[in-house]
Amino acid sequence: MFDATTLAQFLVSGLAMGSVYALIALSFALLYKAVGILNFAVGESVMVPAFIVVILLTALKLPFLPAYLMIIAVMVVFGAVFQRTVYHPLRGRPFISVLVSTIGASLFLRNTSLLVFGADPRVSPGLFPVQSVNFFGVFVPPQYLLIITTLIVLVVFQYWLFEKTLLGKKMQATAQDRDMARLLGIPVDRIILITFIYAAILGGIAAILLAPIFYVTSDMGFMFALKAFASSIAGGLGSIPGAIVGGLFIGVVELFCAAYISATYKDVFAFIILIAVLLLRPQGFFGEKVAEKV
Amino acid sequence: MPLKKGLPAKALFYPMVAIALAALPMIIRSNYWIGTVNLAIIYSIAVLGLNIILGLTGQLNIAQAAFWGIGAYTAALLNTRLGWPFWATFLVAPPTAAAFGVILGFPTLRLSGRYLAMATIGFGIIINLILHNWKEFTGGVDGIPGIGAPVLGPLKFSTNASFYYLALVCLILAALTQVRIKNSRMGRAFRAIKDNELAAELSGVDTFKYRVVAFALCSAYGGLAGQLFAHRTKYVSAETFFIDMSILFICMLMIGGAGSVAGSIVGASLLTFIPEWLRFLQGPWAMAIFGLAIVVIMIFMPTGLAGLVKSIGSKMVMRLWPDAHQEPAELPRKASH
Repeated sequence: MFDATTLAQFLVSGLAMGSVYALIALSFALLYKAVGILNFAVGESVMVPAFIVVILLTALKLPFLPAYLMIIAVMVVFGAVFQRTVYHPLRGRPFISVLVSTIGASLFLRNTSLLVFGADPRVSPGLFPVQSVNFFGVFVPPQYLLIITTLIVLVVFQYWLFEKTLLGKKMQATAQDRDMARLLGIPVDRIILITFIYAAILGGIAAILLAPIFYVTSDMGFMFALKAFASSIAGGLGSIPGAIVGGLFIGVVELFCAAYISATYKDVFAFIILIAVLLLRPQGFFGEKVAEKV
Repeated sequence: MPLKKGLPAKALFYPMVAIALAALPMIIRSNYWIGTVNLAIIYSIAVLGLNIILGLTGQLNIAQAAFWGIGAYTAALLNTRLGWPFWATFLVAPPTAAAFGVILGFPTLRLSGRYLAMATIGFGIIINLILHNWKEFTGGVDGIPGIGAPVLGPLKFSTNASFYYLALVCLILAALTQVRIKNSRMGRAFRAIKDNELAAELSGVDTFKYRVVAFALCSAYGGLAGQLFAHRTKYVSAETFFIDMSILFICMLMIGGAGSVAGSIVGASLLTFIPEWLRFLQGPWAMAIFGLAIVVIMIFMPTGLAGLVKSIGSKMVMRLWPDAHQEPAELPRKASH
């Protein structure tokens, strides 16, 4: 049970699931960092595109590439509408008001999806014809490899975006000090809009990656949102590298705990990690400080 | 508060409310709707608890459903396993929930704002998963059936109408206690923490102690609500106490008006009845509209119904007595960020 192949098998599966958590946690952390909100609708920004991907691929029988590109386009609109309706009218209000507003949005999206797409779980066709590839005795589904690769590519892209482009610098400046950024002539409102759109696109990418390996239901977003919360706390709330490492960590630990300790309590471990991190190192792996700025 | 001199009106107001409340089961008659009123009363008590921690002290607790569940399971287990009667579980369930509140509060209340929110989410989920999976103790998915109806001496509160009076008395006591707390030294300490924690600490308020006390009180209210719930429905199961109820409690409080005792009760009652009224719309439609309504209310009524009433009230006073001293409607403090 503890031989190298089994461990490797678990590790790959854990990393794949963890990559998905990392993407969602990234979306969550970006909005937290940029505007200080806890977005409870982050799971729905995965669930909605996941349904659309299934529809595009099965009912409309679109090829993969156009379908995936359409999802990105849909998420641009989703992010913009979300920012304009759920966040923008409430900017400057206490964070609890915005939080309740995102809860309302989450309820709305979850139940609208139930009405539009029905209660049956759906699954999208996979990109790959084979179930799994044999790597020295470890069976790896190609979809898992795609997920892990996508995460790596996105991390590199994001590093480039934030560190090497003017837009990224503006986004960072806005997140650090909105008033100062405004004084420097940065169009803060537009930058925040772009941040929301980017966060929504991350949700869309997570949905594309998940749809072939995970049953798509109107309730799926909730569970993913909770895992994303746990991931971003583990990594350090609002920390971008933290969200990624936290997501991978939660994914792997969860899988090993489920395999070796208890499958029934699989979902508990993420939250035990969450509470343990909060108690021992509340700033997470990468966070700097916990006390709120005065 | 404006209109202090309206004492005669007030003297009439309370007896009339009392008569209306006492006559409610005779007016409503429908067993189903009385049951819904009872549920609204139970939710009101849980939301009153949340009001202490969120409304007065300004700390977010996304685990009130867990404390509610702890109260309900404590009552259910003591009643079905050990045969404890209603009044005995009534004495034990709220302190049990409060003890859990302290257990959660002690390590986590040093965290601030958003971290605390996340810690409470984790706690709520863990409690729920334990209730759900610890089959030997909590009955697992089957829950615990066969909880006895409240019996106090010769009185048996087994029907919805009779239970209503019992629940109403509990709500009135809970509300009055909270009014007392609000106007006490403790209540002022809570509000000082909400307004500016650092300033409160510097003025000699032991902020950590008061935050733990507020948390314990909040969970005790949750436990009381749970105890009543268990004896009302005579059956508990883990799904009821899931995190979405915690979230619903927060919505009830925010819509009613955080910080206001009356607002907590009105908010809880409204959000209990609105889904019932929307029932003709079939499940998901009602919930979708409900979600949309929450967003709209947050945008257009930042202080909840209590704030709205207060500002309309003060506008009317302004019109009638232009030189009357005004207290502005209290806006929730902008979180220091």
